[in-house]
Amino acid sequence: MTFRQFAFNNVLRNKRLYIAYFLSSMFTVMVFFTFAIFAFHPAFSGGDINRNIIFGMAVAGGIIYVFSFFFVLYSMSSFLQSRKKEFGLLIMMGASDRQIRLMVFLENILIGFCATVGGILGGLIFAKFILLIAENVLIIEESLHFYFPAMAIAVTFGSFLVLFFLISIFVSFILRTNKLTDLIKGDKKSKGEPKASVFLSIIAAILLIAGYVTAVLVKGIFVVYAMIPVILVVVIGTYLLFTQLSVFIIRLLKKNKSIFWKKTNMLLFSDLSFRMKDNARTFFLVAIISTVAFSAIGSLYGFQSILTKDVKNSTLYDVTYSPWGDDTKEVIQQDIQKINAILEEDNIEAVSETMDEEIFNISEQISSVQIVKASDYNRFAALTGKEELHPAEMEAIVVGQSEAILTEDTKVDEMMMQEEIQIRDGREIIPSSIIQSAVLDIYNPYYVVNDSIYGQLGEPVRSDVSAVWAAKDAQEEQIIEVGRKLNEQLEHKAYSIDYSIYEINKTFGPILFIGLFIGIVFFVSAGSFLYFRLFTDLDEEKRKFKAIAKIGLTQKELKKVVNRQVALLFFSPIVVALVHGAVALTALSHLFNYNLTTESALVLGSFTVIQVIYFLIVRFIYVRQVRRTIL
Amino acid sequence: MLKLTNLGKVYEGKVAYRALTDINLEIDKGEFVAIMGPSGSGKTTLLNIISTNDSPTTGNLEIEGKNPHRLKKNALAKFRRNELGFIFQDFNLLHTLTVEENIVLPLTLDGASVNEMKEKAGKMAESLGITPIMNKRTYEISGGQAQRVAIARAMIHQPKLLLADEPTGNLDSKAAKDVMNMLGNINKKEETSLLMVTHDPQAASYSDRVIFIRDGKLHSEIHRGESRQAFFQKIIDMLSLMGGNDHDFSSVRI
Ligand SMILES: Nc1ncnc2c1ncn2[C@@H]1O[C@H](COP(=O)(O)OP(=O)(O)OP(=O)(O)O)[C@@H](O)[C@H]1O
Ligand SMILES: [Mg+2]
Repeated sequence: MTFRQFAFNNVLRNKRLYIAYFLSSMFTVMVFFTFAIFAFHPAFSGGDINRNIIFGMAVAGGIIYVFSFFFVLYSMSSFLQSRKKEFGLLIMMGASDRQIRLMVFLENILIGFCATVGGILGGLIFAKFILLIAENVLIIEESLHFYFPAMAIAVTFGSFLVLFFLISIFVSFILRTNKLTDLIKGDKKSKGEPKASVFLSIIAAILLIAGYVTAVLVKGIFVVYAMIPVILVVVIGTYLLFTQLSVFIIRLLKKNKSIFWKKTNMLLFSDLSFRMKDNARTFFLVAIISTVAFSAIGSLYGFQSILTKDVKNSTLYDVTYSPWGDDTKEVIQQDIQKINAILEEDNIEAVSETMDEEIFNISEQISSVQIVKASDYNRFAALTGKEELHPAEMEAIVVGQSEAILTEDTKVDEMMMQEEIQIRDGREIIPSSIIQSAVLDIYNPYYVVNDSIYGQLGEPVRSDVSAVWAAKDAQEEQIIEVGRKLNEQLEHKAYSIDYSIYEINKTFGPILFIGLFIGIVFFVSAGSFLYFRLFTDLDEEKRKFKAIAKIGLTQKELKKVVNRQVALLFFSPIVVALVHGAVALTALSHLFNYNLTTESALVLGSFTVIQVIYFLIVRFIYVRQVRRTIL
Repeated sequence: MLKLTNLGKVYEGKVAYRALTDINLEIDKGEFVAIMGPSGSGKTTLLNIISTNDSPTTGNLEIEGKNPHRLKKNALAKFRRNELGFIFQDFNLLHTLTVEENIVLPLTLDGASVNEMKEKAGKMAESLGITPIMNKRTYEISGGQAQRVAIARAMIHQPKLLLADEPTGNLDSKAAKDVMNMLGNINKKEETSLLMVTHDPQAASYSDRVIFIRDGKLHSEIHRGESRQAFFQKIIDMLSLMGGNDHDFSSVRI
C-alpha cells in the first residue's frame, strides 16, 4: 500500500469526521457566496441606492469573510484534534513529518476545493429561493431579478481558495509544534481543562456592565459618539465572558461538590468545562454574529417604523394643501379646483375645509407663532370627529407638538405657556393649558383663542392658506393614485399621506430586504456554527455515553443530560446576543428619541422562536444518534 | 444466584461467528468463580452477556431468579447500576473526570449524599492504594492504576454480583496479590458473588472454583481444596492439559 493509497483509505474510513468538516466548510462558502450574489447585484450597483448602503454591504461582506476564516480554522482544528492519535501512530510507525504535512495539506486543499464548488452551487439555489421570497413579500418595483453572478462566483472562488490555502499552511505549522507523546494520548488528553483567570473574569464583567450602562444611558447625538467605543468594549467583554468568566463559573460549580456530584450534573459539567475552550470561540463568534443580525434587522425595521409613523401621525387628512408664500389668490383657487377635480376623477367623495393661517409676533422669544380662531379649529376637528376647543374670552390654549415630531428640544410649547399675548386695548390673553392634537396640519405649536378676541390681535406678520380633504370610505389604492397625480401636478404643494407612506415603503423596500437578508444570512450561519460544533464532538460523545450505559444509565437520564447539554450550547450565545441586541436597539431608540419597544420585541422575539425551533430539531436528531449507539 | 442454561451466542456479520455454544453454569450466592481459557475462546463474550451488555442468541440467563434481558430498558439500567458491578477489560473510565469522580459516578446517578460518597470513595481508594492519585485525570495515571480505579468504581455501590474481565491484567505480581486479596475479602465480607475472567493462574487460585472454556464451550471445572498452593498447581496442570503452553495464558492483555 503506498502512502497515497493509505491517505485515500483514511478519508473513506473516517467518513463522518471528514463529512462534518466538509459540510461546515461548504456551508460557510455558501453563506458568503449568497451574500456576494446580492452585493454584486446590478440593481444595487446602479445609482439608485445610497452610498451608505454600498458601504454597509462592503463592511458586512468583510465581517462575513473574517468570520468564515475563523470558523473554517476552528472546524479544521477540532477536526485535526480528533485525529491527533492517528498522526501520532503514523509518526511512530515511521512516517516522516513531511509526509504527514503533505497528507494533511492535500486533504485540505481537496476538501477546500470541493467545499468551494459545492458552496457556490448551493448558494445559487439558496439565492434563487431568497429572491423568490423577496419578490413576493416586499414592495420592490425594479425587481431583484435572478442573474448570472459571474463576479460573485469569481470573488467567492478566489477568496476561499486563498483562505483554504492559508489554513492548510497554518495547519502544517500546528502539527509541527506538537510532541509525539501528546499526539499519541491525542483525543484523550486533547484539550486540557481550560483555566480561567479571576482577574480577566472580573474584567469581563466590568467591561460588559460598563458597555451596557453607557449604551443605555447616553441620549441623542451622543449615542453616535459612544457607539464605536461601546462596541469595542462589549466585543472584548463578550470574548472574555466566554473564554474566562464562563470557565470560571463552571469551575466554581465543579468545586462545589453538592452541586457537581448531584445526579447527572457530573456528566454534564465535566464535559462542559472540558470543551469550554472550543466552545468559547464558537460561542463568541455566534454571539457576535447574531448580535449583528439582530441589530441590523432591528434598526432597519425601527427606521422604517419611525419614518412611516412620523408621516402617518403628521396629519389626519387624506389630502393636504398649502401654497407657496407668494402664490396669488387666483393660483390658490385654481390649485384647489384642480385637487377637487382629481378627487372627482377617481370617484372619491371628500369633505374639505380651508382656513387662513396667520402668523404673529408676540414677543422676542416667540417671534413667529400661529394663532388660530377657535371656530376654525373646530371646523377642522369636525371633519375627523375630534374634540372641539372652547377657550374663554381672555384664554389661550397651547396646542403642543405632536409626539411624532422628533426634535432635540421640545420646550417651545412650554415657553409659549409663559408668554402673555397683548391685544390692541392693552389687555393680555393668558395661556391656560397645553394639549396635544393633530387636528391642524401645523408643524410648530400654536395658540387657539376665542373668536371674539381674534379681531383685536394686531397685525399678523404673515398670512397663508391651508386646505385639507378627508375622504369618505375610499380605498387605500385610490388615495395612493390621487397622491401620485397630485405629486405630478402640484408637487410640494399638495400631497396625500398614503402616497407618501407608499413612497417610503418603496424606497425602503430594497434596503429593508438587504438588511433582512444580511441578518438572516448571519443568523443562519450562526446556527450552522453551533450545529457543526455539536456534531464534531458527536463521536466522542457517543463513546462516553456508551461507557456510562454499561454501568447503567436510564433513557430519562440520558435524555436529561443530552437535553441540557444541547440547550446550553444553543442558548448561551443566543441569550447573550439577545441582550446585546436589546441594548443596541435601546441605544438606537435613544438616538432618535423614539420608542422602539414593540419593534425590538418583535424582532428579538421572532429570532428566539426560530432558535427554539432549531434547537428542537437538532436535539431530536442528536438524541436519536446517541441513543442508537448505546442500544 | 446466577444460572445459565444452554446459553449460545452467534455474532452476526459478513461471516456469522459462533462464539458460545450451550453454556450451562450455576453460581451460588457469595461464590467466587474464575473463568479461564485461551485468547478468543469467548470469555469476554460470556461476561458481556451476563452483564446484560450483550444479549444471548439462544438459551436463558437468570440472576436471582429473574431474567434481566426481559426487563424494560430503564429498569435494566437501574438493575445494572444497583445489582451489578463491572471491571472491563478496557477500563471504560471517562477521561473528562478525575479519578475520584470516576469512582463515585455510579453513586451520583443514584443521588447519594456527597459525604457518603466521599467517605465510601476514600475507603475504597485507601484499600486499593490509590489515595494519592484521587485528583488526577485518567490520562495522568498508569495502566495498573487505571485498573484499580476501575475496580473501585465497580465495587463502590456494593453490588450483589461483581463481574471482572482480567482485573489483574496490568498489575505486577505484588499489586495483583493485593487486588486479589481485596476481591477475596469483599467476596467473604459482603457475600458478593464474583465472576472473574483471568489468564493468570495465580489470580485464579484465589477463587473457589475455576471454569475452563475452549472454543466457546465449557471444557471442565476444578474446585478449590483446602490449600491454595495445591489449587494453583491443579490449575497449571489443567491449562497445560488443555494444550498450548501456559505462557500464552499469562501474557498481559489489555
Ligand atoms: N463484536 C464481535 N463481532 C464478531 N465477532 C466477535 C465480536 N466480539 C468478539 N468476537 C469474536 O468472538 C470470539 C470470542 O471473543 P472474546 O472477546 O469473547 O474472547 P476472549 O476469550 O475474551 O479473548 P481474550 O482472552 O483475548 O480477551 C473471538 O474469536 C472474537 O473474534
Ligand atoms: Mg477478553
